[in-house]
Amino acid sequence: MHFIAGVACALALAFAPAARAQENDAYSRGELFEQQSKFAEAAEAYTQALASDPAELPAILGLERADAQLGHLDQFLPVLERAIAAKPQLAPLREAQLRSLRTLGHRDQLRAAYERWRADVPGDPTPARSYSRMLIAEGDLKGADSVLRQAQKDLGTGRGFDYELAQLRAASGLWDLAAQSWREAVEENAYLDQAATFSLVSAPTAARPSIVRALQAAPVTVSARRVLASLQLMWGTPRDGWESLRVLPPDSAAVVAWGDFATKAEEVEAWLVARDALAAAQHASPEPRALARAAYDALRGGDAAGALFLATLGERTLDSATAAATIVPVHVRALSQSGKVADAAQVLNAYARFLRPADRAPLDRVLAWGWIRVGDVAKARELLAHSDSTGADALGWLALYDGNLAAARKSLRPDVESSSEALAALALLARTRADTAPVTGRAFLALARGDTAAAAAGFEQAAAELGDAAPLLLMTAARLYAAHHSEQQAVSLWSAIVTKSSDAPEAPEAELDWARALRHGGQTQAAIEHLEHLILTYPQSALLPQARRELELSRNGILPQS
Amino acid sequence: MLTFRMRFWRALTVLLLCFPGAARAQHLLVPMDDEQSNHLKAYGLTYAALLAGGRAEWLLNYRGGSFLLPDTPEIRRRAGLDGVSFDAIDDGALNDIRGVMANGNMDAVPLEKAPKIAIYTAPYSPPWDDAVTLALKYAGIPYTPIWDDQVEHGELAKYDWIHLFHEDFTGQLNKFYISYRGAPWFAEQQERSLATAKALGFPNIPALKKDVAEHLRQYVNNGGFLFAMCGATETLELAIAAQNVDIASVFADGTPVDEHADEKMDWSRTFATRDAHLEPSPYVSSMSDIDGHQANVPGRRQPLGTFTLFGFSAKFDPVASMLVQDHRNVIPDFYGVTTSFMRRTLKPGVTILAEEPGAPWVKYIHGDYGKGSWTFLGGHDPEDPQHAIGNPPTDLSLHPNSPGYRLILNNVLFPAAKKKPLKT
Repeated sequence: MHFIAGVACALALAFAPAARAQENDAYSRGELFEQQSKFAEAAEAYTQALASDPAELPAILGLERADAQLGHLDQFLPVLERAIAAKPQLAPLREAQLRSLRTLGHRDQLRAAYERWRADVPGDPTPARSYSRMLIAEGDLKGADSVLRQAQKDLGTGRGFDYELAQLRAASGLWDLAAQSWREAVEENAYLDQAATFSLVSAPTAARPSIVRALQAAPVTVSARRVLASLQLMWGTPRDGWESLRVLPPDSAAVVAWGDFATKAEEVEAWLVARDALAAAQHASPEPRALARAAYDALRGGDAAGALFLATLGERTLDSATAAATIVPVHVRALSQSGKVADAAQVLNAYARFLRPADRAPLDRVLAWGWIRVGDVAKARELLAHSDSTGADALGWLALYDGNLAAARKSLRPDVESSSEALAALALLARTRADTAPVTGRAFLALARGDTAAAAAGFEQAAAELGDAAPLLLMTAARLYAAHHSEQQAVSLWSAIVTKSSDAPEAPEAELDWARALRHGGQTQAAIEHLEHLILTYPQSALLPQARRELELSRNGILPQS
Repeated sequence: MLTFRMRFWRALTVLLLCFPGAARAQHLLVPMDDEQSNHLKAYGLTYAALLAGGRAEWLLNYRGGSFLLPDTPEIRRRAGLDGVSFDAIDDGALNDIRGVMANGNMDAVPLEKAPKIAIYTAPYSPPWDDAVTLALKYAGIPYTPIWDDQVEHGELAKYDWIHLFHEDFTGQLNKFYISYRGAPWFAEQQERSLATAKALGFPNIPALKKDVAEHLRQYVNNGGFLFAMCGATETLELAIAAQNVDIASVFADGTPVDEHADEKMDWSRTFATRDAHLEPSPYVSSMSDIDGHQANVPGRRQPLGTFTLFGFSAKFDPVASMLVQDHRNVIPDFYGVTTSFMRRTLKPGVTILAEEPGAPWVKYIHGDYGKGSWTFLGGHDPEDPQHAIGNPPTDLSLHPNSPGYRLILNNVLFPAAKKKPLKT
């Protein structure tokens, strides 16, 4: 008897590795079949893989997938029961059971399975969390609420259910309570911040103040403030978002939060908010590259002075080679935009030997535009002549400023990113046959220098110089007058275009601008008259949709809101 | 000088429009198929023609439900301003069209009188918008806003057409108490409604709204046209059926819902529905099981599909035909406080104008009641399917060809028709 038992044991020991290898093979085959969409074969292979260990989790989950595809989940349930009997503590088995029963629509058995699981692991919140999440996903908020309440009672605490409660409350439209729960959930698990943001972002406008209050409440925490700042960014109030984060004590977690927020702010082109976040981060934890980024953001946001300050600050802390590659370009741009072109040239020359020709050429062009803006066209021309810059358009602009339309026509080309200034120049060059027009050139130069009043007067005078493009030049002048709040002069030009050049393409354009100005000035009836005249006189104009929309607005129709 | 110039131009334009020689015809055909560049304004153009004392015809099922208007300089001018497409036709061409119509499921309905329109809307602005107000404003159709005091003072009889929108006639303010009780707009709405109720001699909001509902019922019974959308449809029915039973939750009138309210509802009085069950919980944003979609109850919310307009015989069933004139037969569905109407709750004799095939609910219904008639369209905004409180209102200049909004405007012109006896 002992002998037989001994042989049996020996055999078992001898064959066990082989059996294990076979089961592993069976599991691998199952995966292979599954990849080939041969689900019946996959199910068979997974069943074989479960021969020695009925609770082998990968095989169980594989069988669940295959049986679900075959519509045989009912056959899977007894397999699961055996697995659970073998390893009652293994939560994924219980979750698979709940999933399968839910898919099969066995509501009573689902509830019973949950109750069994709860009884098998007293004190463990996992059953209630899994089951309530399932109910929330199904939209059974009442059921989920009841499960969570019971679990809280059983465990004597609400901790551990914040995520589920947050989801439940958000789905019920109880936004203030949802925000409180999300706050607690992200305190426990910071990685839930995105889930919190996306859950709360859809709150209606009226509910947003209560969410803000919940996330702003004392004590101030990084996780809650991160969620709040992200929400405010997505709600279109980036400055509020930064204000929510700004109050954090400047430790390492805050620096990371500020950096992340700056990246998000840049994505929505909230440049000055990004500037502030990056500047704060760099102040708490000096990092010259972040400073360069902040300076660029300042420049993009129109704050050349801020960019200059940040760039100068950064340049002091870097070696020359690194500075040339990172912060010098923004420094040069900021100086140039601020009208300090000589200083910009000085900075560029100081770092000349650290700049590659490919990096230098665009900076030369920046400098050239700086010289043009301050009125020194000769210096701009000289710089471009000696530069490696291949930008023919810069030379085209210089030709235009000289009034040499023939040369400008050869060099200036339309570009997808053409500025309104460039479009005006291209339109003029296409419209007129003249080769020289010094008055027009000076008007464009004044525009480049930012002298709107002189440019407007110049374009008005230029209309006498270029008769074939007179309406276009007058229209350009009128726009500049309007932008410069010289309404009366703009109106006089619009009127001249509408009455004296009614066949010109600028006539409906002038009338539309005129009507808009009247409406904004409160002269609604006059605006309506102009718009009606435009619509009826130019029925083929591409401006008609805009004119009709203006007419709607003038008639106190639908006011667009956003 | 400027004004003089403008007047000169306007005069010249009008002169050209009046005497364009060969361009002048006897009739303007306003097509309502895909050739039309602004369907919604076309209704306003037709309404304006009627308001000016002219006659018009609605060519049912002809090119999407076209309109035939007299060829006058003013109509041409307005069409030009509004971007409404039209074809100028002479008598010969019109005869050809009538020939085509005679041989198909088409008919011409004369439109004789611009109906007087009232919209039942609060004088203060709640944070949602009314699709009908938007449609009328955009189309340029005049209307008068009326509210509880005008209804209570018997002013309904002044109007041919009454529109109801988002009002909760059960007086429970759409059960938004739970979700929005802290919102300033909700508190303001509640206070104002209560003040109105007290001023009119009612103890609470449900009592006032129930009485308003009764006035509306009598208005239709006496020959009025009523069009309702969204939550007004369902709650009007509930308020009428609950004339003698308390169906308002404790937060609305201080007393709980009558335990036997379901059994005490008098469905013989309602326009469209019967045997519905009330939602007793004040915490569930639903009024009853009339609505199929239950958009504000997450556990019950049904997904949106598309709804299909029924085709009716233009010659024998002109009223239903008018209500479904459209250039699209299948239209994406849209949510509202009440989105749809469960078939099993509809009374026999209710005409289903649009349904979601295979679904247990319908979208658009119509019926006669006493000497008048009613039409219910479920949902809030045809161009904003998921519309939520606080969302910006729809800008209809971006949706000039909206097939959903056409359904609303069909209802505006339908009372203008010289009615023919229903033969089916």
